[in-house]
Amino acid sequence: MMGSISRRTLLAGTGIAAMATGLAACGADGTNNGNSGESSGSSTTGGGGAGVELTYMFRGGEDERKAYDQAIAAFEEQTGAKVKVIVTDADQYRTKLQAAITGGQVPDVFYLEQGSVMAFAKTGVVKDITGDIEAAGLDVSKVWKYGVDSYRFDGTRVGQGAIYGLPKDVGPFSFGYNKTMFEELGIPLPDKDKPYTWAEFRDVAKQLTSPEDERWGTGLNVAWNLQAWVWSNGGDWADEERRTVTIDTPEFAEALQDFADIQIIDGSTPSIEQAQTMDTYQRWMRGQIGFFPVGPWDVSTYQGLDFEWDLIPYPVGKTGETATWLGSLGISVSNSTEHAELATQLAMYLSADEECQRSLYQAGIQIPNLVDMAKGEYLEAEGAPANKEEFIQIAEDYGRALPAAATWTPEWYDDFWVGIQPVLDGEVTAADYVAQLQPQMQAKLDAANMDAGI
Amino acid sequence: MSATTEQPRRRSRLYRREHLVAASFIALPLIGFLAFAIGPFLYSIYASFTNWNMLTAPTWIGLANYVRAFSDPYFIQSLGNTFFYMIGIPIGLVVSLALALAMNRRMPGRAFFRSIYYVPVVSSLAAVSILWQWAYNGDFGLVNQVLALVGIDGPNWLADKATVKPALIIMAVWKGLGYSMLLYLAALQSVPRSLYEAAELDGASSFRRFFHITLPMVQPVTFFLVVTSIIAGSQIFTEINIMTPTGGPEFSSASIVWYIWRQAFSSLSMGYASAMAVLLGVLVFLITAFQFWINARNSHDGVE
Repeated sequence: MMGSISRRTLLAGTGIAAMATGLAACGADGTNNGNSGESSGSSTTGGGGAGVELTYMFRGGEDERKAYDQAIAAFEEQTGAKVKVIVTDADQYRTKLQAAITGGQVPDVFYLEQGSVMAFAKTGVVKDITGDIEAAGLDVSKVWKYGVDSYRFDGTRVGQGAIYGLPKDVGPFSFGYNKTMFEELGIPLPDKDKPYTWAEFRDVAKQLTSPEDERWGTGLNVAWNLQAWVWSNGGDWADEERRTVTIDTPEFAEALQDFADIQIIDGSTPSIEQAQTMDTYQRWMRGQIGFFPVGPWDVSTYQGLDFEWDLIPYPVGKTGETATWLGSLGISVSNSTEHAELATQLAMYLSADEECQRSLYQAGIQIPNLVDMAKGEYLEAEGAPANKEEFIQIAEDYGRALPAAATWTPEWYDDFWVGIQPVLDGEVTAADYVAQLQPQMQAKLDAANMDAGI
Repeated sequence: MSATTEQPRRRSRLYRREHLVAASFIALPLIGFLAFAIGPFLYSIYASFTNWNMLTAPTWIGLANYVRAFSDPYFIQSLGNTFFYMIGIPIGLVVSLALALAMNRRMPGRAFFRSIYYVPVVSSLAAVSILWQWAYNGDFGLVNQVLALVGIDGPNWLADKATVKPALIIMAVWKGLGYSMLLYLAALQSVPRSLYEAAELDGASSFRRFFHITLPMVQPVTFFLVVTSIIAGSQIFTEINIMTPTGGPEFSSASIVWYIWRQAFSSLSMGYASAMAVLLGVLVFLITAFQFWINARNSHDGVE
């Protein structure tokens, strides 16, 4: 319990009328269940949320539901409030949420995608909970800085200013390799602290490749892996302020070309079209691929693989610094909620409750949101990957947000991928592609910034 | 004047009650239609003249959304893709008519085959799309495994811009086959036998009997199927969204409704999405009207 947020601190100082009884209930936590729930709601011993019903809308799989059920049960017990949970499919979430907002039926607490922060904060759909968090005594420094900063907005820029949500998770997108394959071929294992250069990486990938034996160096989906190449080479999709599209720089073009050449020149990937399908994912799971990306959400599946694997940093371009993206999903409070304090409290439970975080990392779907827990028990926990440290470093140190996370809409960024296939097929050079595409993306980014009124 | 002299006949209580009951029966679907179809329809026309992100109130911008549509390459391309998919309609009609003719004969297992062909129609489109997505997998997919048996190295169907649309057409034809077949079957069974008997007496070949009796007699069904298929085909969405969630390589599988949906919910442009939906609606209306006109002219000629 030390060093992380206990339920007691979550509740302390929320300023709700029945704070004392809340703490009393907290003392009885787990020992006297009969005293809580509906019965306490009607009596004077109930928590501050007695008789209140909050709605919580999210998307997620079985494991997430289980973890949140625990956190919600604990929250209900502490506060006497009821939580009505609405779960949707990942595909439908955005549409349903939008419909709920348009219809004026915004759930009290709900998932907020990074890419929606600006739009939802600026239009007043989600609540500025900075004050509530302070009042509740939650020390946000216990949660990953990136995770909290992702939901900050100061009126023009995402990443600074008031807090509009807390992270549900941070998702470091790391790089993995098939250790068993290396050992069988007698190829020296990659160093977890010293990334390959691009040239080294391509060389090793070529050594691993042997199509007759159904074995390939790698097979990377461009939409999720190119970031590592571009950023490590000093390029980016747009400038810091997200005003100018910068794909037409030499660093960017060089990175894209190198990425494409793994396929075109080296032939280290299964086949040309497969970059856009799940095929390489299936091949990786069958042990046919040397290098493949790994996110925390993959861990539960990959632990069942019949080969050993581990994490390494992405290969580096001319900056010499490894790079990759770090995703996140937020939990926000509706601006129209009638129970702002309770709703904020619920968001804090879901984001930072110890038990909940423990059950999520143990299920192998995310790393803990709590820094101390991640660096402590998570690192020491059994099971692959051995180099869990890489996830931590991405979360704390070198992970970056995807380019569209901080803009009004992702349309400008989405455009980059629409016509990418000819570059990967070698029909168009990277330099030509980015030069020809820049004006179109710039126009869409301009339009997005104009719509945002910034 | 006559109104004052001629007392309206007093309706019986029973009569009025029956009317009330009837009206309430009609009211239910009518209110539903007004609330869930006409209401949103009218609102979307209004929304198409506004800049509306669905988070704040719409602001009036006149025809700007329509101007934007005509200069938006994705709008043109997705509209083109949508009409390309309609190649599947005539294919589906021919195949389903052939099947219906086969099923119309007395043969063993007829009921079994009729049911089998109808299974895709009653299956969930989402589930079917996921199955076909697997079947089209370039490496492990059923389609390419079957092709490999006859020595063909199949493409990676959904990732190649040359094959993604044909792949989706094949699936759509397969899915809709049972429905058209059933309608054709019903139509075939209502063709009077006397016509065939007369033709046979006159020595008409089976070829001529088909083209001069069967085909004209099932023409109303063909017309119905063409009209409804085009209306439904212009709204193709689910399979696109599931099988090619990013609109396919180089936007080659994106349908117009998929693009409208993306603009509305991902790009916060409900106003623009509404404008494109209105354009699509007008287009479908014009095509349908044209079909009715052609149909009316043809049947008129037939009578003369």
